Amino acid sequence: MECKFVPSVCSYCGTGCGVLFEVINGKIKKTLPMKSHPVNQGKLCIKGWNLHEHVNSFMRLKSPLVRENGRLQKATWNEAIQITAEKLKKISDTYGPDSIGVLVSAKMTNEENYLAQKFTRAVIGTNNVDHCARL
Amino acid sequence: MKSKIKLWLEDGTIDIFIGYKTVKGHPLPHCFTLSNLEEIDELIVGPFRYPLEGIATDIASEQPNAKIGILVRDCNTRALNVLYIWNQLDRNNIKTVTVNCCPSPLKQHGDCSYLEPEKAGNYKKQVGLDSNMDTASLEAFGQEELLGRWMYEFQKCIKCYGCRNICPVCFCKECSLEHPDLVEPGKLPPDVPIFHLVRAVHMAGRCIDCGLCEDACPMDIPLRLLYRKVNEIVLDVFDYDTGTNPDQSPFSVLGDEVTLEPKPLEVA
Ligand code: SF4
Ligand code: SF4
Ligand code: SF4
Ligand code: SF4
Repeated sequence: MECKFVPSVCSYCGTGCGVLFEVINGKIKKTLPMKSHPVNQGKLCIKGWNLHEHVNSFMRLKSPLVRENGRLQKATWNEAIQITAEKLKKISDTYGPDSIGVLVSAKMTNEENYLAQKFTRAVIGTNNVDHCARL
Repeated sequence: MKSKIKLWLEDGTIDIFIGYKTVKGHPLPHCFTLSNLEEIDELIVGPFRYPLEGIATDIASEQPNAKIGILVRDCNTRALNVLYIWNQLDRNNIKTVTVNCCPSPLKQHGDCSYLEPEKAGNYKKQVGLDSNMDTASLEAFGQEELLGRWMYEFQKCIKCYGCRNICPVCFCKECSLEHPDLVEPGKLPPDVPIFHLVRAVHMAGRCIDCGLCEDACPMDIPLRLLYRKVNEIVLDVFDYDTGTNPDQSPFSVLGDEVTLEPKPLEVA
């Protein structure tokens, strides 16, 4: 018998409500609002309340998939990153860096968003970077 | 208290104890077992309340024979009574450790988060209902105005289902509030007042007035007041005092005889 409570932050929107996962025998059973969290003070919206459902969903992606001959195949992270890098490089070499755009997300942390724009501007070499909150 | 719980875990009286512990500065619910026995020293009562008996119900649904110890305030005790009589928990498998609740002249020290309910703002006082009101002063508004005020409160609902999710006595596998014929999916605000009244009717003989729903409601709807009103009727008409003892029948089974005079519906 194992039951533990794991504090976390809701990943559904930029508000960043504090959540508490109720984990029984290794499975997230429920998401509870964190009562002492300064952002949400014990309240959540319907997305936050159901945060565990996408973790437990059978549709959840657990490894990268690469499309080969029209079908998605399982791949390792190294393979997937390598293929993505090669393709991005090819597009950039053929059509110029401004043919690429990057969309970042409110679901990511500030630090991840910072890295994403740095990657877009400094590595790819374009200013085409935008954010889902503006769409 | 701590040494007693330690002893219970060691001699197998209980397999798990649900209490609170401070984690990263937050007082959070925490489960103590034999494998983390040393953590018992960090057990706290905590200023915040979580539905500990709901957690016990979840554990029991995974492992029906688990012997569970629980830290209980008054509201937890009432919720346990309701869960026993609705067969959600087996009282032989539950051991409680009682702690302080709200302060009173008799009980100077209280640990509860409900010590100071939120004050209603001016607008809410003018058009809505103050959560701190009692049911008697509700009546003073007169029926028409009261309905208007309730409707103002209900139409704020963002249908987060927080009131149901946090409630220790909302344990149904299939919830009416998710039934497409009663509550249309994807519609906001939900059909009012039906959404709130469906839940209110279900809370008759079940709600133990813990206030967790109101605490969790992002829209500040006076839910506790609504269910208090419902259970006042349950007490007045059926003499059924919800949650006060573990030997009550469930409210849905009140004997063979119907004693209420059937009243004709007034057609407007
Ligand atoms: S619970 Fe709702 S409001 Fe809070 S972070 Fe998650 S999606 Fe945003
Ligand atoms: S609202 Fe009614 S149907 Fe839904 S869980 Fe609560 S008691 Fe059950
Ligand atoms: S006060 Fe609210 S959360 Fe508590 S038992 Fe009643 S309906 Fe459930
Ligand atoms: S907690 Fe409040 S806003 Fe959420 S569904 Fe219940 S009444 Fe509506």
